[in-house]
Order: sequence, then C-alpha cells, then structure tokens
Amino acid sequence: MATTMKKLNLISLAVVVALTGCSDDDDNSPKTLTVENTLAVGSEQCVNGGTETLTGTDSNDNGTLDSAEVTDTTLSCNAPATTLTAAQLAPLTDNDWFKEAQVKVATSEENIAAVAKDSGKAKNVILFVGDGMGISTVTAARIMAGQLEGKLGEEHQLSFEALPFSGFAKTYNVDAQTPDSAGTMTAMASGVKTDAGVIGVDEDIERGNCATVAGNELVTATELAEIAGKSTGIVSTARITHATPAATYAKSADRNWEDVSDMPETAVTAGCEDIASQLVNFEANLEARYAGLNVDGLEVVMGGGRRHFLPKDAAFNSADAVSSVEGDRTDGRDLTAEWKAKYPAGQYVMDQAGFDAINADTTERVFGLFNESHMQYEADRANDVAGEPSLSEMTAKAIDVLDNNDNGFFLTVEAGRIDHAHHAGNAYNALSDTVELSKAVQVALDKTSIEDTLIIVTADHSHVFTIAGYPKRGNPILGKVVPVGSDEPSLAADNMPYTTVGYTNGGGFRDLGDETDADAGYNFAPVTGRVDLTDVDTTTPGFHQEAVVPLGSETHAAEDVGVYAVGPGAHLVTGTNEQSLIFHVMDYAADLVKQADAKLAQ
Amino acid sequence: MKAAILIATLMSPLAVAGQCNMNTGFTQANYKVTTGTITNKQHTESIFTLWRTPHQVAKQNPQFIELWQELRNQQIRPIRYFQEAQRGIEYQPSEVQGKQDWSSKYQLVSDKLLASMTHQKSTGEGCELVEYYTKQQGESKIELSWLANQKLLKSIRISSPRYSREIVLTASNHNQQKVKAQFAEWDNYQTTDYADIGDNENDPFLAKMINQGFVEHGASGFYDAQGNQLQGSHKHHH
Repeated sequence: MATTMKKLNLISLAVVVALTGCSDDDDNSPKTLTVENTLAVGSEQCVNGGTETLTGTDSNDNGTLDSAEVTDTTLSCNAPATTLTAAQLAPLTDNDWFKEAQVKVATSEENIAAVAKDSGKAKNVILFVGDGMGISTVTAARIMAGQLEGKLGEEHQLSFEALPFSGFAKTYNVDAQTPDSAGTMTAMASGVKTDAGVIGVDEDIERGNCATVAGNELVTATELAEIAGKSTGIVSTARITHATPAATYAKSADRNWEDVSDMPETAVTAGCEDIASQLVNFEANLEARYAGLNVDGLEVVMGGGRRHFLPKDAAFNSADAVSSVEGDRTDGRDLTAEWKAKYPAGQYVMDQAGFDAINADTTERVFGLFNESHMQYEADRANDVAGEPSLSEMTAKAIDVLDNNDNGFFLTVEAGRIDHAHHAGNAYNALSDTVELSKAVQVALDKTSIEDTLIIVTADHSHVFTIAGYPKRGNPILGKVVPVGSDEPSLAADNMPYTTVGYTNGGGFRDLGDETDADAGYNFAPVTGRVDLTDVDTTTPGFHQEAVVPLGSETHAAEDVGVYAVGPGAHLVTGTNEQSLIFHVMDYAADLVKQADAKLAQ
Repeated sequence: MKAAILIATLMSPLAVAGQCNMNTGFTQANYKVTTGTITNKQHTESIFTLWRTPHQVAKQNPQFIELWQELRNQQIRPIRYFQEAQRGIEYQPSEVQGKQDWSSKYQLVSDKLLASMTHQKSTGEGCELVEYYTKQQGESKIELSWLANQKLLKSIRISSPRYSREIVLTASNHNQQKVKAQFAEWDNYQTTDYADIGDNENDPFLAKMINQGFVEHGASGFYDAQGNQLQGSHKHHH
C-alpha cells in the first residue's frame, strides 16, 4: 500500500487508536500497532462509510503508527442504507417545491383514477383553440398573468395549465411543414389532416378549384353533434367566417372564400357556396346531405365578420361600421335578414348592448356579429365604436344558451387574435388575448361539471416567438433582460440592451407607445438590424419586438403545440400525436359518430 | 388673435368674397411636387392627384393610393390601394381620439396650420378667391396660397437656406360623376384586412407584402400645424 503523509493526516481523524501485541516492559522488541479509522459516508474508500484498519510495527518506538510503519490495511465498508430517517429526509420534505410536487403526484393519481374512461360519458364538449398559441406564448402569458396579479410570474398557472391531462399535437399540414389555420382546424374538427388553406375537405382537394370539392367533403364534430341532437355553437374573436371557425361548419376549396365577392366567378357559377352563406345555411345544407335528417341548426354563433353577411350597399351599414360601405357581398343578399327569417325566435345582435340584453335562460339561439371584420384585441376592446363583448363574456353566454338542451352541447371557442398580434410582431396583444382565453376557459370550468363535460384547450399552430436571454426571476416578461443579481439590463455584443421576448422574423421594432391596436405597426416598413432600446419602454402595449429576419409579417412556426384536457375521455390526451387525434378524443368521449349514426338510422 | 380672426374668416360666409356655386364636395386636384436641395442644386419632381368626396379623401401616387374615410365618430379609417395589382389593404381606424386631423388629409394642410399663419392678401372672388398666407418658423419659411371657397390648396412652398419643397396645383375640377367613378373603381379592387396578410403567404401579391414589407411612405404632401410633413396615417412616435 502506498501510504502518503496526506493520507495520514486524514488518519489523524481516527476515532479509535488501539495498541496491541506484547506489553512486557522488559521486552525491547518493536510493538505491533493497530489503528481503526471511521470512514465518512461518501468517502473514497467506502461510499456508504465504514472502517479502515491499519496495522504495522512501531519501529521507531514512538508509540504511534507512522505512515511508513503501516504494513497492512483492511477496509470494512457499510452496506448501502435501506431506509432514510426523517432527519435525513428533512432537507427534501421541508422544501416547498418538494411538498407541492408530492401533492401534485397524489392529485394526478386521483385524477387518473377518477376520470371517466369509458366512451360516451361526455354529454357536453367544449373545444378551445388559441389561434397561434404556441408553447412559448403559453409560457409568456402565464408569466404576464402572474405579474399582473403581483406575483413574480413564473410560478403562475393559466386556468388550462391546471387541467389534469395534457400532451402535444404535431401541427404540420399534409402539404406543408409549417401549417396554417385552415388545415390544422380541419384536422381537429374532422379528424383528418389535410392541405393548408382549405376548409373541411381532405387532401385530394386542389386549393382554389371548386370542382375538386365534391366528394372530398369531411363531416365535422359540430355536424355530428348537431345530428345527434345536441345544441351546437361557435364563438370566435376573429371573423366567424375566418379559417378556424369556418372549419367547424363549412367546406371550401379556399379559406378566403368568405363571401361571394371573394370567389372567382368560375367557382360561383360552378356552384360553390361562400363560407358566410354556408354558415347561415348550415341546417339546410346538413339536412340535404343526409336523407330524412331533421336538425334545428346552430344555436350560438358569435364573432366578427359582419361584412361578409351584408350587401355591398351603404344602406345596410350598421351602427359601428368602419367602412363607408360595410358589406362586401356583391350578390345583394343580406344574410342577417335571411337568418332572422329562418329563425324568428332567435336573436341577432351586433353590439355590447344587444349582447347584454340577451336572456340566456329563455333565448333559443343567438347570432352575434360584433364587428365588420375581426373583433378587437382584448386590450383594444374599449375603443370599439359600438362596444363588443370579451371572449370570456361570449363563452359564458354561449354556455348559458347551449345548456338549455338536455341532450348536451358541442361548443367551439376560438381566441382568434393571438395569431394576428404575433403576425404584427406585438407580444403585448398576443399575451393579453391569451390571458383572456385563460379567463374564458375558467368560465367554462365554473359553468360545467367535469363529470359530464370534456374540455380541451389547444392551439392550431405556433409562431416564431421566443423567450430568450438570462433574465432574473420576476423580470417583467415584456421588459429588457436584466440578469440575476443586477438591476441593469444585460448588453449584447453590440453594447445595446435586448428584450426577453422577440421574434425570429417579422416587421421588427416599432415603438408605438400606448397604441393598443397591434396592427398599427403594419404601417411601417420592416426594421432590419438592431435598435438601441436603452431609452425605450418595451413593456408598453404599442411596443413591437425586434425580429431577426425582416419580413412584412411575422410567420407561423412548425413546432408542436400543447393540448390540455379535463373531463370524460381526457385521459386520452397524452403523448405526442397527430393533431387529428383531437377529433377522435372528442368522438370517443361523447360518442358523436355512434349517436349521429343512431339518429340517422331512426 | 390672428388665429381667431382667421378661423372666424374661414367660418363666416359673410367674410368670403362672394360664394362658389360649384359642387366642391367632389374634387379632383392634380399637384406637382418639386423638392430642391440648395447646396448641390439638385431637385426632384413628382406628381399626385387628390380626390375628395364629402367623407373620403384619396392621394393617388403613380404606384399606389392612400385613401382615408371619415367615420361618423370622427375616427379615420385608412385603406391603401395598389393600382397595378388592383388590390387593397384595409386598416383599422385610428383608435386614439384626436391623434389624427381630418383637415390635414382632406385639404393637404390642416386648419391648425392655416390658423397659425399670417394672412397677407386676397385676390379674386367666388370660386377663384385666393388667400395668401406666410409663416416664418426658425430658418424655414412657409408661403401658402389657398382657394378659400373650394377649401383647396393652390400652392405651398417651404424653404430654408438648404432645402425647398413646393407643391403646386396644376389642374382641378369638381366633376361629381368622375370622382364617384374613381372611388367606385378602387372600391371594386380585391381588398385584404391587414391582419390577414400573415395568413396568406400563398397569395403572390400578399406574399410580396410578407417578404418585402409594405411600400414605404414617400413624400406625402400632407402637413401638420407646424408645417411638418406627415408620414402617413399613423404617426410614428418615440
């Protein structure tokens, strides 16, 4: 054994020193000495601790076993511990992170045990879609919501983040790596992935070619629920004819065929119907597709897009028109009048006052078109001419109307403007609208029971929105990066500060101060390169984040999106799946196909 | 005091030299813009046409048209049309009350600028009544002639020791039918909501917008109360 002074210094910690051998004082022969050292847990020799025994002859007769005198070393290592004492565990068990996680594990076990796993247990289904609400948007919105409540932010949870089951959806379209809303919502609404830009039709479609629609139409969950006798509803802050809501009720070779004036003449003459017309004719079109079917139509339709329902005639302008001629329709049809004629007991509303006046307990159906185009960003809503409800208010009203049906309901709710704010490169509005979606989900959770209602929250696709740098905990999410232990912003290699959130591409920097309309930024050419933000308040509503690649409009991104669920069948939302799985989870939970089939067989 | 007198002058029908019986609510006015740099004696010329109905005004440049609509709540809604593509981009109305001045768009010069200037003289009468104003602002001098009964800019010249810019009316008419037809033609262009551009990368026209951005504002010919050139429908403030 190679014994060094260093090791003997350690040995000086020995707790036992035993002298053995001959004790005859007259015997001058060297004595044999034995030294036992206790080895600590984690020691080099014994990882679980133990005893080291050194033996040798005290040649120099100094009564101490010097390193050079050691002739034998034996180790007796402790067996690995099979239990830990409470004291040993205390650093963990007394820690709040540890305790919270333990509670979460227990809760998760309860959730898994309690969730209704059999098919057909969901009487009601609500599908929430945050348009463009990628993972980074959810994270940043969570921090913003927490900071608005006075917290540091990172620890906060949006309402839907607390749902017991979650997974990921792969969002690509059949023909596109980075998808658009038309193809992705068709996948969710009908259970079939399809091409970008087309609505309610499969991949055999040729975008923009009316002739390819026939035979490629897909049935939607909304239609199945309608056939099954449930109440049905669609709510969106975008135009109600926009891609995401349209995919719940329309079949179109092009997402932009929102009214007849948007369609090529050849498509009109070939018999293709514009999306707005399909909405108003939902009941008749569905009945025409299945022999003997008698349904009662959509009970709730609320969103923007009035211009696609009105004739191109100033005489039809409503009180909050923002164009000299509000309507776009060139066929002279007033679809709002047609809807009223079809549903005389229904209520058509176009402003906050009309919305507020609806008595949900006694109202059979509602058609709300609150804006000429998209509804306002939540942060900008106060600037609407005639006033309009928030997403959470619309969700509450929709549920209150829909739950009058004992057979249950199917509701789709879209936060449509998260996407638009991102396209404009304006994180403030994207995050504010995400926080509003979180409120809307909470409203749904409060108004329904997880015993009979499946709620799924997801996004159609992501955006090139990033959370970057090394900001300290609690740093304002829209602020400049301030590192741990500092009050001054970090400086980049160009000696200028930079924001935590930013975009890979898009219009880049604009400082529009208190402007709450994200789209105001479109009035300027893309800003290339870096901008000195030293004196800029980047947390204002009108600040548009810097972008790396200059484009006129920021783009979608291709990574997966989160899917969050609660209620019967929610346990199927797990793992990473094709986005089309969402339809199948809803179908499993509510037996939509089975119930619709049974109805048609009657 | 001068401003108050001028406003009174603009408002009072008794103060104007005779009435103009033309239908001035509908206007086509052609302008020539000359910009010069004194130091290197270079100058550039361009033209644009101003079109007006009672609640719409459009500035037609060779490549694109900027159109503003005055809404009932006094908000201003901008639309940008692209002549060659026969396409348009629709914007939301300005939502910050008082941020924009309709008169600066409708008349090229705002009422506030006119009110801040010194009246030098008047010539002609009726529709041809021309009022002349000047204003000195630091090193810059603004000289303006104003067809008062048509509410139409006849000329404006802003000059400094290093720079001059002049906008001159070259022709005008109040042919209601022609003006209405022009607005109707633009109205028939296919338009896209600004917010939808990002979702339309497959549309060649909009893809160009996405990839190259929007046409940058050139010299707009619109001036605020300080004689500053306005850069479009939204003022970029820092």
